[in-house]
Amino acid sequence: MRLTTVGFCARMRMMSIVSMKKKWLRYAALWFLGVFFAATTETRAQEYPVVTRTLKNGMRVLVQTDHSIPNVALYIFYRIGSRNERPGTTGLSHFFEHMMFNGAKKYGPGELDKVMEAQGGSNNAYTTQNVTVYQDWFPRSELPLIFDIEADRIRDLNFDPQKIQSEREVVAAERRFRTDNSDSGLLDEQLWATAFLAHTYQWPVLGWMSDIEHWSIEDLKHHFEMGYSPNNATMVVVGDASSEEIFQLCEKYLEPIPSHAPPPPVTTLEPEQLGERRLVVRKRAELPLLEIAYHVPQTNSPDFYALNILRTVMSQGESSRMYQRLVDHDQIALDVSSSMGPAFDPTVAIIVAQPRQGVDPQACEKAIYEELERLKNEPIADQELEKARNIRLVEFYHQMETISGRANTIGTYEVFFGDYAKLSSAAKNYAAVTKDDVQRVAKTYFGANNRTVATLIPDEAPKAKP
Amino acid sequence: MKLRKYFRRLPALIAALLFAAAGARAQTIHLPSHEKVVLKNGLTVLLLEKHGVPLVSLTAILKTGSAADPAGQEGLASVTADLLRKGTKKRTAQQFATELDSIGGAIGTATDADATNISAEFLTKDLAQGLDLFADALLHPIFPQNEVDKLLAQDLDGVRGSKDDPQSVLATYYQGYLFGGHPYGRPEGGNEVSLKKIHRDAIVKFYETNFTPGNTILAVAGDFQTPDMKKKLEDAFGGWPAKSVAPVVIPIQPPVRGKRLLLVDKPDSTQTYFAFGNVGIAEKDPDRVAVEVVNTVFGERFTSMLNEALRVESGLTYGVSSTFESRKAPGPFEILSFTKNQTTTQAIDMALQVLARLHKDGLTPDQLASAKSYIKGQFPPSIETSAQLAARIAYDEFAGLDDNEINQLEARVDAVTPEIARQVIQKHFPLENLVFVVIGNASAIGPAVEKYADKRDARAIGDPGFWPPPTAQK
Repeated sequence: MRLTTVGFCARMRMMSIVSMKKKWLRYAALWFLGVFFAATTETRAQEYPVVTRTLKNGMRVLVQTDHSIPNVALYIFYRIGSRNERPGTTGLSHFFEHMMFNGAKKYGPGELDKVMEAQGGSNNAYTTQNVTVYQDWFPRSELPLIFDIEADRIRDLNFDPQKIQSEREVVAAERRFRTDNSDSGLLDEQLWATAFLAHTYQWPVLGWMSDIEHWSIEDLKHHFEMGYSPNNATMVVVGDASSEEIFQLCEKYLEPIPSHAPPPPVTTLEPEQLGERRLVVRKRAELPLLEIAYHVPQTNSPDFYALNILRTVMSQGESSRMYQRLVDHDQIALDVSSSMGPAFDPTVAIIVAQPRQGVDPQACEKAIYEELERLKNEPIADQELEKARNIRLVEFYHQMETISGRANTIGTYEVFFGDYAKLSSAAKNYAAVTKDDVQRVAKTYFGANNRTVATLIPDEAPKAKP
Repeated sequence: MKLRKYFRRLPALIAALLFAAAGARAQTIHLPSHEKVVLKNGLTVLLLEKHGVPLVSLTAILKTGSAADPAGQEGLASVTADLLRKGTKKRTAQQFATELDSIGGAIGTATDADATNISAEFLTKDLAQGLDLFADALLHPIFPQNEVDKLLAQDLDGVRGSKDDPQSVLATYYQGYLFGGHPYGRPEGGNEVSLKKIHRDAIVKFYETNFTPGNTILAVAGDFQTPDMKKKLEDAFGGWPAKSVAPVVIPIQPPVRGKRLLLVDKPDSTQTYFAFGNVGIAEKDPDRVAVEVVNTVFGERFTSMLNEALRVESGLTYGVSSTFESRKAPGPFEILSFTKNQTTTQAIDMALQVLARLHKDGLTPDQLASAKSYIKGQFPPSIETSAQLAARIAYDEFAGLDDNEINQLEARVDAVTPEIARQVIQKHFPLENLVFVVIGNASAIGPAVEKYADKRDARAIGDPGFWPPPTAQK
């Protein structure tokens, strides 16, 4: 909603590994992209304490009371995503997310949305490689209704064969929209598929089209049993509600739901990459596109903070090194950005450049490598470090400005760092990053052997430039 | 490019802000109190304190937008706004960017037909430096030739690149085809031909003519003390010399009669993107609230009639929506969606049937009650942040709306009856007179969509410009 522009350049990248259930007009509001841009000083948002409880069935509940507006944001994080899938049923987590809105025992097909909207509420959901997250936004008076709805679908989800078929079409349409007819979506999918040989991050969250066409009702039932146990879920409630009333509602609606075994652990580790990989997508397009992926550790690694500072120095803001070099000075790109999403397992950091029309993507590649070499060979300036911390700080406050942003941030820290309280130590951790750390992670992770390079080449000669 | 894309949504967002109603419970939602001061040079200043997060948000609305672009130089207002921070009397573009990033600050611009929006956000602790940057951009840009050349070249590529993503250009083709040569038909960001005709002297002239205190509303919201902020703003903007500006007058375009269809060929597309509708209503139309309530049922939310039919029940699309854009003069009304090539006419037919059903059946009391609750329940988060509040009060001042737009909207929403709904459906939702834009693989879908209109036009997406074709423009 904000009209100002900050360095949320990662948004487009992330879209292809994140899919949301609905409201395509609203997908830009992917809160969690900013989740890891944490602060360098103590945050006032911490003035609102978080109260936690683990229900008898193992579900974690976190509540932050804030009476600023008469509304509540309720997020449920399930630790299941496309990394828990297998060849043949890729995209099932995301499809299942859609099916969670298509009828349970008490609220039949379509009723969930109708009842919720009629009472002033709205909802959405998103699926990533790692988690599936359900979001409700509603007036505080509707708390019991929302709990009733959530309990109904966790306990008694129903699979109507007719709904499965029509929803399959919706997901296919979503895939055509986000991937097949999107240059960045398409290239991104191929990049991940090439960067990962062993680990399940290799396939798209949306699933391959042929898998979308073949999921069965049995696959859905199996997925439900695997991922939707209360002890595999974390609920975050932020807004105009007390922890006492939330816990009472939990006792009534959620605690009686029995738990069962959570998904089996994903044990496959991506082997070390031993040399550069390259791929090319040729298609009709006005502009080429370049993406470069480097393997980096999982989110709860100690290098997480230094990597984020490095990415900010590289590519966030118009004074960042790569923007200055590629966009401003060499004028070979329209934009350059980087992303590194939250991940349970070792993942990739991705640099994306949008070359100007007619520019060979390799020219952008060369400039990017030269900038990376500078980062490896010389320490960054004090002022650059300070700048990166300030950028993180502002972005942190942006997330904490809304009840919805806070619900997502608290939940993401709880799930990916194992403890929401890491939110406050994130500040310290960013402050502790030194210039040496930045140089070290640049050297450790941004080497030629560790990269996968994807280029989209327009398959028709670009029109003559003026 | 990104911002421009967002700004295309802005009128809809503002409409949602404006015409969504007050709180879920009676009279619980009020716009926080704020102050208005007019400086001696004519600058209108609005101040709203909001503590809790140490941020200060600013929104300046210049009462001139792309409607003031000279014909053939579409994009001039937008380019001028984007160049404000690319070199000032005190700072080069690079110095400006470094200083701004160093404090984690953000300055963004967005241009639509009616207005230019320049917004910024800073940490409270960096307010002095942030204000200095913001005022420097607004008051002292020098438009260096090399920066002008660079931005125009980037914008040109940006327009070309946007055509790789039909979704991002659908509304531009639609408003061009609907409004033709009218100012609301212009691509706010320009096109491949017009951007080449914009030169530095035109930019300087545009700036000097339109960027004046009397033509500007400045709203600030966030973590500050009002008396102190007033003084700071007086210091920063008090010296901006006054100068009168002839107000932009937007002619009223009557709805299009009959049916027309523009087919834009994108041969590699596996799905069809379509928009159809007609000229809608002005933002201050007395029927606006009733229209928004009806549109909530018809096409605004997930359980809307359109989404139920095209997505939930049939799986023809991932999403469909209808919007009455909020503009000073009557702006576009459009239904937007996409579907795979093979189901193109099935989806468009179905959307037309839903529209016909709205006309035939009107709304039930239950549908109305649901829409009212939804609007009221979803409103509070729309004025939650200081950036939202600054944008909101600035826009209201620009549009000539007072605080009762929010403080009394609950009552106004509740006042909509099935009979009033029936009247606004007949009056404002088109049925027989429709303008269609279809982007897709013309060889696959072209013959099938001919049935929607006798008067048809066609373009290839790679052809320069949108509609009308730039060569046909005066």
